[in-house]
Amino acid sequence: MKITSRLSTALLGLALTACKKDITINFPADHNSKIFIEGMLYPGKKPQIYISKSNPFFSSKVTPQQVFARGAVVKIISGPTVDVLVADSVFNKFRCRWEPFYRGNITAEYGKTYTLELSFEGRTYSASTTINQVAVGIASIEYTPEFFDVYGGHDGVIITITDHPGRRDYYRFQMDRMIDSSVHHAHVLDRFVNTCVSGPAEKFAVRDIGRIVFNDENADGQKIVMSIEVAYEYKKGDKGWIFIQSLDKNSAEFYKDLDDQLQAIQNPFVEPVFLTTKIPGATGVFGSAVLSDSVMFIYPRNNP
Amino acid sequence: MKKLAILVTALFGLNLHAQKLTISGYVKDEMSKEALIGASVVNANTQTGISTNQYGFFSLTIPASDTIELIISYQGYNIQAKKIIAKEKVQLEILLENTAGTLGEVVVSSGKNNHNIQKVQMGVIDVPLRAIKNLPILMGERDLMKIIQLLPGVQGGQEGTTGFYVRGGNLDQNLIQLDEATVYNPNHLFGLFSTFNVNAINNVQLIKGGFPAEYGGRLSSILNITMKEGNKTKLQVAGGIGLLSNNLTIEAPIQKNKSSFIISARRSHINLFIKQFASKGNSYKFYDINAKMNFELGKKDHLFISFFKGNDNAAYDNPNSLNYTTEFGNSTGTFRWNHLFGNKIFSNTSIIYNDYNLALSTSQNNYYSLLYTAVKDITLKTDFTILPAANHQIKTGFAYTYHQLSPASFSASIPRRGNRLTINKTGIYKLYSTELAFYAADELEVSKKISVNYGLRVPVFTASGRTYFFIEPRITSKLSIGNTASLKASYTNMNQFLHLIPNATAGLPTDIWIPSSDKTKPQSSTQYALGIFKNFKNNEIETSVELYYKKMNNQVLFAEGKQLRININLDSLLAYGKGESYGAEFFVKKNTGKLTGWIAYTLSKTSQQFSGLNFGVTFPFKYDRRHVLSVTASYQLTKTWIFSAVFVYSSGVAFTIPAGRVSTLNSGTIFEGNYYVYEGRNNYRLAPYHRLDFSASNKKTVKLFKKRYEREWSFGVYNAYSRQNPYFVYFEIDALTNKPTAKQVSLLPIIPGLSFNFKF
Repeated sequence: MKITSRLSTALLGLALTACKKDITINFPADHNSKIFIEGMLYPGKKPQIYISKSNPFFSSKVTPQQVFARGAVVKIISGPTVDVLVADSVFNKFRCRWEPFYRGNITAEYGKTYTLELSFEGRTYSASTTINQVAVGIASIEYTPEFFDVYGGHDGVIITITDHPGRRDYYRFQMDRMIDSSVHHAHVLDRFVNTCVSGPAEKFAVRDIGRIVFNDENADGQKIVMSIEVAYEYKKGDKGWIFIQSLDKNSAEFYKDLDDQLQAIQNPFVEPVFLTTKIPGATGVFGSAVLSDSVMFIYPRNNP
Repeated sequence: MKKLAILVTALFGLNLHAQKLTISGYVKDEMSKEALIGASVVNANTQTGISTNQYGFFSLTIPASDTIELIISYQGYNIQAKKIIAKEKVQLEILLENTAGTLGEVVVSSGKNNHNIQKVQMGVIDVPLRAIKNLPILMGERDLMKIIQLLPGVQGGQEGTTGFYVRGGNLDQNLIQLDEATVYNPNHLFGLFSTFNVNAINNVQLIKGGFPAEYGGRLSSILNITMKEGNKTKLQVAGGIGLLSNNLTIEAPIQKNKSSFIISARRSHINLFIKQFASKGNSYKFYDINAKMNFELGKKDHLFISFFKGNDNAAYDNPNSLNYTTEFGNSTGTFRWNHLFGNKIFSNTSIIYNDYNLALSTSQNNYYSLLYTAVKDITLKTDFTILPAANHQIKTGFAYTYHQLSPASFSASIPRRGNRLTINKTGIYKLYSTELAFYAADELEVSKKISVNYGLRVPVFTASGRTYFFIEPRITSKLSIGNTASLKASYTNMNQFLHLIPNATAGLPTDIWIPSSDKTKPQSSTQYALGIFKNFKNNEIETSVELYYKKMNNQVLFAEGKQLRININLDSLLAYGKGESYGAEFFVKKNTGKLTGWIAYTLSKTSQQFSGLNFGVTFPFKYDRRHVLSVTASYQLTKTWIFSAVFVYSSGVAFTIPAGRVSTLNSGTIFEGNYYVYEGRNNYRLAPYHRLDFSASNKKTVKLFKKRYEREWSFGVYNAYSRQNPYFVYFEIDALTNKPTAKQVSLLPIIPGLSFNFKF
């Protein structure tokens, strides 16, 4: 009996212990790399347009520098004004890497329409945006050590705004903070160790953009409460400047698609999301956002 | 009752003529008096005949002559010739002798009928029970559903599971019935085994096309499983001890030759050992019970009461892989009353109850999913079979079903702190619906060469104030080409009102049943099939080639990116589209002799098109397997030893993988956007599936305490060359380096099996 029982257990264990192995997936060689454009205009700011080439899924070229679409001719046109953008980059001190983009010289203005024209590797792409969203006022900000949404349980902030009536609005969270190398990312990059700044004494700026796009569907003109998961760890007394971005429809839909896709990538119980393009021939978006007035927020406690 | 018989007879113009003779009765096993389903009863003078129905009944009206010779045959039984002196009505009880006699004897010749050639119906496979008993076993457990997966036009789902897919249809498009009661989840042990206890089964028939009008409610197949009635002559006990479970079957007469019962139970014992040897958090137990009683109330009435209950309770905890806990169960009850009106009209009235529920909690990667799905049905149905003449059969009837469905599901990331959500079963919103269907079908011989079966089914479905009404025409025709071949063609239209929503990405079962509604329209299909059937060597070898084309509408999948949430109307998470499948099925089967078995090969293509998925472009169905091959063989080496083998090969299932990646710098910071570029849904194929199994059985009649009993040792090897067949593939992307790797999970390596069975 003992032998039978041990044999049974061994067999069941053998049968049910999932065997895992790395496999090589061979894609068709003719995978077409797509142009990916991410251009958001902010009133009062000069354009920064990120243009990259999509890479085969298992490509080892993964950094912004490696995927940057060098040699593109990028113009932003508004009425008679034609701004030819030039390649530039900033150093991301949190990630310790250069992030290239195309920089314009004109300053985006509220109420104007802008057209992006891009020529790259013999193809041209075009898209337009009008900056006419209404800046929203932040009514209150609260800290929450724990809230639940469809993405799980998080800590973060709860922001209340009052929507402008009579139009469809889309909102996204933004927090600008000064941090040092002791501050870790709160999620997927929590293992990342910063080695490119001199130490805790050196402060640098980070921008935390919320993943969720909120809208005023069924809440037009009413109070909207947004629970936001924050991206960086914090200590009691840390400060941040919070904004709410009012997005145009194209940008809102694009970033919502991105978030839905991310959710599907992470969650095996959700069907994959295919990104639909907002720019004919390319993937990505050319849009705009109007910022609310900033409100300074002080964390009342350390992150849990 | 008599009036009704006269009325029905008059309606169908069935006036008896003096020059006609009607022979009716039952064909049964000589030893147990068990009904033999599908036995052939042929008038030797005219070569016209009929098959016995689900209750072993036949009625044959033929031109009168002084002496009639009937030839009665049934596979695995000795052919019997019976001479009858003519009179107007003859009622018979024909008892056939099993060629096996006792377990273990060599079967070299037996009834070899040409049903596959002669019957009008096509797309029907009578699953040989002997094959189920002889073919290789997984971990010592014989399994009906594993054999179903080896038939032409049928393919298995994920590695090791008992689910099956027929002619491009989804899992839910198969109606699995045990004594007419629907079994919504025929699985044990994470789907590795089915709930059907082979010891309690009398007959299994799979219909995958050319559906007769009496069947409806599913698009792709009907799997009819009939339980044994129980030995009417003596007490019989059979049992077995396997590595996973033990089983015991007792059957005996209640009143000799008049009524009997059978009770068969199976229970796993693996949990006792898991507790001792496996890590904490793993447990598994299942049981199933089949019971049936039957009472002959005179020559014209027969009552059957069947009961089935199966239950599984499992927890599987592997920190590096899948984790899930589940509890599910099926209960069915069937009360049936057979009545003969005269000797040409057979009726069956059934009251059927079934109750299925499944609660599942799974986690994969850092996400968890909860699911609860329950279906309760109460069905009332009546069927009439009218047999006015040889080669003329009329069927009519109705069925009414009351459905109650309770679906709930949820998925989210695993919280870093605190508890996960749970589903409160009592708080789940229930969905009620009714399904009523009328049907009539006529099968007749138009000429000596041409026969036709045509019919109409009219289902009416009502849910949430919305009513759907359909007319489903069905027609199958047969052209005989000599005595050994026939050409058949069929057209069927079907509708289905319950949907099992499949999740295309998760490696775990997250399917959930919902009824049709205003938004979720009933699934429908139109199927055309053409087949040629040819037997060789006096029906020893059957061959067939069937071609089919099937169009399916209102197919349902989860929409892109929709998150399962409690208390949300599931309709709002769904996408709707259509499907198309076509293929060719080749089948060669050797029925008798020392070597028996079959080769089945299916070449097919199935695609789907959803406006809300894959940019609206047509994409392959997940189980679009271009090639599916199965080879089975059993060889009776001696009186006591049988060796068997199974080889299966199928093209890899379709799977969606991204073609490229883009990184964004203005998206949510919390995940530092790294996004996928998809070029097509189900654009990649997992590795092909193939496997070789062996088994050897030693059967002997031996004496114990001066009594003879039959015993059998079975040894098996599953997946003999330990092929790592893909269960599913997922990606891991290192957050820091952004490097992705593809991981393939496989379930079942080489697994030996052993079981001991006895019967006395």
